[in-house]
Amino acid sequence: MIYDEPRYMPGGDRYMLIEFGNEMNLELNFMAQGLASAIVANKIKGVVETAPCFASMLIHYEPEDISYDDLKQEMARLIANLGPSDNIELPSRLFYFPTAYLDPWTKAAIDDYTAKINPEKEYDAAFVARLNGLSGPEQLVRVHSGTEYWVASLGFWPGLPFMMALDPRCVITAPKYNPPRTWTPQGTVGMGGASTAIYPVATPGGYQIFARIPIPIWDPKRRFAAFEDSICLFRPGDRVKFVPVSVAEFEDVERRVADGSYEYNVVGYQKFSVSQYKSWVAGLDRTKRF
Amino acid sequence: MLEVLKPGLETSVQDYPGRIGYWNQGFPPSGPMDSWSFRLANLLVGNAVGDAGLECQYMGPTLKFQRAAVIALTGADMGAKLDGQPVPLWTSVAVQAGQVLEMGAARAGTRCYLAIAGGIATEAWLGSRSTFHQAGVGGMNGSALKTGHVVPVAEGHGVAGRSVKETARPPIVTGKRWVVEVCAGPNDDWIDEAGQQRFLSADWKLSSKSNRTGFRLEGPEWTFAPKATNKPPEHGSLPSNIIDHGYPLGAINLAGQTPIILVNDGPSMGGFINPYTVPSAAFWKLGQSKPGEIYNFKQISVAEAQAMARAMKAICTESSIV
Repeated sequence: MIYDEPRYMPGGDRYMLIEFGNEMNLELNFMAQGLASAIVANKIKGVVETAPCFASMLIHYEPEDISYDDLKQEMARLIANLGPSDNIELPSRLFYFPTAYLDPWTKAAIDDYTAKINPEKEYDAAFVARLNGLSGPEQLVRVHSGTEYWVASLGFWPGLPFMMALDPRCVITAPKYNPPRTWTPQGTVGMGGASTAIYPVATPGGYQIFARIPIPIWDPKRRFAAFEDSICLFRPGDRVKFVPVSVAEFEDVERRVADGSYEYNVVGYQKFSVSQYKSWVAGLDRTKRF
Repeated sequence: MLEVLKPGLETSVQDYPGRIGYWNQGFPPSGPMDSWSFRLANLLVGNAVGDAGLECQYMGPTLKFQRAAVIALTGADMGAKLDGQPVPLWTSVAVQAGQVLEMGAARAGTRCYLAIAGGIATEAWLGSRSTFHQAGVGGMNGSALKTGHVVPVAEGHGVAGRSVKETARPPIVTGKRWVVEVCAGPNDDWIDEAGQQRFLSADWKLSSKSNRTGFRLEGPEWTFAPKATNKPPEHGSLPSNIIDHGYPLGAINLAGQTPIILVNDGPSMGGFINPYTVPSAAFWKLGQSKPGEIYNFKQISVAEAQAMARAMKAICTESSIV
């Protein structure tokens, strides 16, 4: 549910957590990101930084510049001014990623897991398809690649995006691995709960995995212009579109990434209008899958 | 310039307050775990409190000075010797080109800080020189010190013979037991009354599975309020699961039944509750404790925690130097 009034909670001497509700719901994330934008626009004194998450937002503040109670009052005022989430417009970029679904690299990671950790583990794509009532891995690919994804939050590892499907016809869910995998290839695309993530580097992981992108979303050497402002690609509020490609095309892009000639395919900052999004969603037949 | 003859155990370049402003991209601040000792070390050698220095932990490094410098050591006693002569802690010391500083295992405390006049001048990443080992960011090309590294140092004008007043030094205990302040929240209401009392009265042993990401604690089982078990499914299946949310630095993060204090290199978000948070002014105690030692947690208000941070900031000024 969405709370009538947001809940404010302290985290030690320098943090405040604001909860907007207690469910996974894009609207709650729009509110969190709307508040983050409003804090910047209103230059609220004493706010060091913000970190929106699915249904909440963490604020890091400087108590010498603003007290906890004053911060709470300021936040309540900004949230009231945000009005209903329909009024929110968020700066958003759109990234297109060539994506090898049902690829050999994530398969190798799953095979290694079944050989060493859990022989019972069903292949992730078949498992996720079955749990979501899809006909099989091929339909999972159509459904998963049929939508833009919304970067709701970043974390777990620097630059790792937690994304939610914007098209409700493409919402699928998946439980996490138990126990987790000890390794996941860099660029792997996976799902846990209702969120999709991309692994910036090879790390352990718990998401169901069934695709891989050849493009860095983390670049400490900043070889590409997309990393001008940071060494990770995404900001909250960005969007991602996975474009299915063959393994041969994946490897071609990988070569261009290696020699530095790859051009990121990105639509620059535009306004994402929550009201226009909601009116589009309202006209969809949610029972239809791709 | 500092030449690394022996690296010690993950000796790292850190600055204060670290890499701030990138929490929403998943970057932790890093920085010194005991910023009280760190700031005073910088003041002793005439630096700004935040300039980059070295954090030495458990086993210190052996370093050769390629030019004359003024240095100061604060925090844990690692039995430092300069060309075989003992070096006092909490005092600025002149070193000559070619001299070797040899540090050993930590005796009292765990982390010793080395400041050098001018400050360490490695490349800053996202506004900070602090090392974040896990992601290969900051420090010496993203890593801790390694044998053969030459650590760059900026020009400085330190004065030898300056000391920190006894009363301004952190009281590093050797009794294996620490009283660590905590504030309730953000998620204390997920723990039942008995569980809250148990947390505040129990002995919590610092696990050996602790590092600059998280400090794992061993202690009694947790019990939960009804909201921890009666909740929408997207929170997850364990009582301590919650819809992924942002983590405050210092949060006591409850992963199943294991509390983990999220420290300087910790994660920015995740799906577990944080019933309590260690305030910034108590972090030095975490930085100076060793696995196997005991924490007793003492609850204070947010206002008290903020007053502690103000008092510490006032201590970390020239007024504490004689």
